[in-house]
Amino acid sequence: MAETPIILVIDDEEAMRDSCSLILVKEGFRAETAENGRVGLEKARELKPALALIDLKMPGLSGFEVLEKIKDIDSRIIPIVITGYATVESAVEAMKKGAYDFLPKPFTPDELRIIIRRALERRKLAMEAETLRREKKMMEENFITMVSHQLRSPLVAVQQYFEVILAGMVGSVEDAQKDMILRARERLESLLHLINDWLDMARISRGQIVDKLKPLALEKLLDKQVEFMKPLAQEFKVKLELRPMKKTAVVLGDEQSLEQVFSNLISNAIKYNKPEGSVIITLREEDGILVADVADTGIGISREHLPLVFDQFYRVSRREDQKIKGTGLGLAIAKKIVEAHNGSIQVASEPGQGSTFSVRLPKAEPEEK
Amino acid sequence: MNKSPKILVIDDDPDFRAAVTPILKSALYDVVMASNPQEAKEKIFAEKPDLILLDIMMDSLFDGFSLCHAIKTSAEYTDYKDTPIIFVSAVKEIAGSRFQFKGDEEGMVGPDDYIDKPVRPDDLLARIAKFLKK
Repeated sequence: MAETPIILVIDDEEAMRDSCSLILVKEGFRAETAENGRVGLEKARELKPALALIDLKMPGLSGFEVLEKIKDIDSRIIPIVITGYATVESAVEAMKKGAYDFLPKPFTPDELRIIIRRALERRKLAMEAETLRREKKMMEENFITMVSHQLRSPLVAVQQYFEVILAGMVGSVEDAQKDMILRARERLESLLHLINDWLDMARISRGQIVDKLKPLALEKLLDKQVEFMKPLAQEFKVKLELRPMKKTAVVLGDEQSLEQVFSNLISNAIKYNKPEGSVIITLREEDGILVADVADTGIGISREHLPLVFDQFYRVSRREDQKIKGTGLGLAIAKKIVEAHNGSIQVASEPGQGSTFSVRLPKAEPEEK
Repeated sequence: MNKSPKILVIDDDPDFRAAVTPILKSALYDVVMASNPQEAKEKIFAEKPDLILLDIMMDSLFDGFSLCHAIKTSAEYTDYKDTPIIFVSAVKEIAGSRFQFKGDEEGMVGPDDYIDKPVRPDDLLARIAKFLKK
């Protein structure tokens, strides 16, 4: 984009506007002028200049006010303050308010040229940094997607062959063959599951979640998860209940990853439960923090294991649990997601009676803008 | 006498093409293949399939989406715009939320159905039958 940079001159003195314009045009820039702060801001909004020269002492909106407001219009506009009343105090004040530089009047054309060149250079660097940051992010995401695809693809191909063979579509299958293929399919599924979990861990970095935050109604999200988990609860003969909350509970969150957290907690609560047991989910507010509890009446977790449950790969290794499939990463992922949301996750448990996992998330501030 | 319905399988994975063929043949469908968007276009015009199975993860995620959109909306494919298209995907459903059709964000027209890989033979055949009945 090799457009001529626009430089906006905001000064109530006509002579100043004219002489600056002359110098700027001679340097190859496009000069725009405004005779006061109000017009200056309007033109900034309309033209989105690269730089703005702002006189401090003007009738109406002062230079300081223009300085503040112009940053809101477009943070990429580089403001330079010019003034005939140059004092150390006003210079410091201007810099604090975001001015890039300070040019006392009267100034020579050379002094103006030098400051403008420096400011434009700075702007160019800032924009390049932004582009690089975005490219890096895209590459990281693409990398993870690529790795994901490359790891999964061959496994899915093998699974597909198994499906076709088991369905008898390439010849009859004897029992002994069928048993082995079924067993092989199970091992493949756990490998795929493991890959998915590791990719989740890689993908969930704070930066990625922070970009996707938007206001979410937590009670709706929980409701949706409970509906989705009903068949699993029925399969394990466990009662699943969401206790309603009196008001709406809005958090700033990434829907997909929060769904993953609760899906994990609820399915654990169902699977590590007793027959005819229950899973009760409650949502309450505690000093501006929303607390979602997932309580089960399951086998519980012993005191020694309790601090370790959120560690990667940690799985309670008791005889009865060997049947429950899993990679041990679910809770570690859940913890990572919740913490990326500025929240926390804890567990309380009584062996033999059950466990309660609590997810704490800050309430979203009501929209102000 | 009705001729057998013809299914076009568009997938760059030769193993998927090899595995899905016996499934389709068991239901007495004719099977034609393409392994990239260019070949897919040639086959669509030459073979006039009754249904298309389209893998979305070819060279880039968008190959499948763009082809689907083109078939359903562009002037070039106007004779084929009513051909049912089933997306086949190796991207697994994430608990609670259906696979997000990224194309929606770009204003693209999507497929008539989705199916995850590995496909269960009976599931695939049921979905195909549903579309061919119309």
